[in-house]
Amino acid sequence: MLRTEEMLLNVGPQHPSTHGVFRLILKIDGETIKEAKPVIGYLHRGTEKLAEDLQYTQIIPYTDRMDYVSAMTNNYVICHAVETMMGIEVPERAEFLRVMAMELGRVSSHLLWWGTFVLDLGATSPLLYAFREREMILNLLNELSGARLTFNYMRVGGVKWDAPEGWVDKVREFIPHMREQIKGYHDLVTGNEIFLNRVKGIGKYTKEDALNYSLSGPNLRCTGVKWDLRKNEPYSIYDRFNFDVPVREEGDVLSRYHVRFAEIEEALKILEQCVEQFPEEGPILAKVPKIIKAPKGEAFVRIESPRGEIGCYIASDGKKEPYRLKFRRPSFYNLQILPKLLEGESISNLIAILGAVDIILGEVDG
Amino acid sequence: MLGFGLAKGLKYTLKNLTKEKPTYDYPNKPIPLPDRFRGIQKFYPEKCIVCNQCANICPTDCIQLTGKKHPDPTKKGKVIDTYDINFEICILCDLCTEVCPTEAIVMTNNFELAEYSRDELFKNLEWLDENDENVRKVNKA
Repeated sequence: MLRTEEMLLNVGPQHPSTHGVFRLILKIDGETIKEAKPVIGYLHRGTEKLAEDLQYTQIIPYTDRMDYVSAMTNNYVICHAVETMMGIEVPERAEFLRVMAMELGRVSSHLLWWGTFVLDLGATSPLLYAFREREMILNLLNELSGARLTFNYMRVGGVKWDAPEGWVDKVREFIPHMREQIKGYHDLVTGNEIFLNRVKGIGKYTKEDALNYSLSGPNLRCTGVKWDLRKNEPYSIYDRFNFDVPVREEGDVLSRYHVRFAEIEEALKILEQCVEQFPEEGPILAKVPKIIKAPKGEAFVRIESPRGEIGCYIASDGKKEPYRLKFRRPSFYNLQILPKLLEGESISNLIAILGAVDIILGEVDG
Repeated sequence: MLGFGLAKGLKYTLKNLTKEKPTYDYPNKPIPLPDRFRGIQKFYPEKCIVCNQCANICPTDCIQLTGKKHPDPTKKGKVIDTYDINFEICILCDLCTEVCPTEAIVMTNNFELAEYSRDELFKNLEWLDENDENVRKVNKA
């Protein structure tokens, strides 16, 4: 007699599609997932606890290692939190350099996501095209900060380095090149029937679900909620730029794909305006004391990282180290919806759904 | 129409077939790196004033140093005796070169650190002094 039996299946922790060390315990009936249980913490380094023994400047290299794909936003959030507490006014040129670095990081982060997401679905070559352009961005950031991923570029009150000679022109040349390439990417993947069949209509959730699970970033905007901190709570100098917040209504994997691509184009728009308005000269570091001591009290700031809202909470007792530090890491919050999305899905859709959430395990595990 | 998207993708692939290679021939040829690149440190013992700032700012506590009295009794201050960096935990964050008042420790463009044993990753004063190729030209903004 034909009968089916429930089976436990381990996906990960060393599975290539999890982009890090992430484990999923699946309870499956045939090919249908009955229950999915994520297991995290393999990459936990205790950044928040370590920070309690570190001076504020020393914490910055640690934040590079949380979301290592767009480390500039992490650099910014810790500096922004300390600046808010101390009431430091950041020089204009430094703000421009920060925004340019962050937006370049956003483009490179979405490119990496696109390449690996399509790779997981079985298309190998788009990854190589994505990495070709990503390499150009990494070279630009390398010239600016001296590292390709772990930038350690921002400081409380400004940035470490001024833009090297000709760097802004290189960014200016990069923008039209990238726009041209995006068209090519759409030709290569977006119209592909096999790709569309694999992503259309799966991993769907509603606006209410997204809000209840406190999703943010493209994972929220794909359901029609127009919420981007760069627009809704402008920080840095984002209020000076003219850009849209891309929103889709469907809430499926394909809509997240489109939102991220539209975000690359918006980031390029911001970069273009940055290059135009870039101040000729000026200081890159505000006057800050040599040993930074945040005043007694607490502060919470949040900014828009490529993955969503990244927040930083500092409680200080007036010493040079924070009393308590907490990061709201968007990947961690976005991952929470995964068990719900996977329930009742087929195993073949698992990778597409997981890939579209866009997690970075360094950030999930902190 | 089914297959149209596939054909479009193939066209893009064919278009890229004749383009220049974007890859580096790395182990055979050195990778081009900008001057600011943060590689293994170079140390100038004669410049060091044993102020301990580099060891204090290091986020991973990988720098250990000791000083001794100046050999010339007419001069004040200390000179460096031992200086070790543990490259097992050094994250090349550049903070040590940033705080050094005399630029006694600077970054180089060398980044190849693979060794056969962990002990070899402890680099001492002599080794860091001899690491004088591709030294960074501009060290402070």
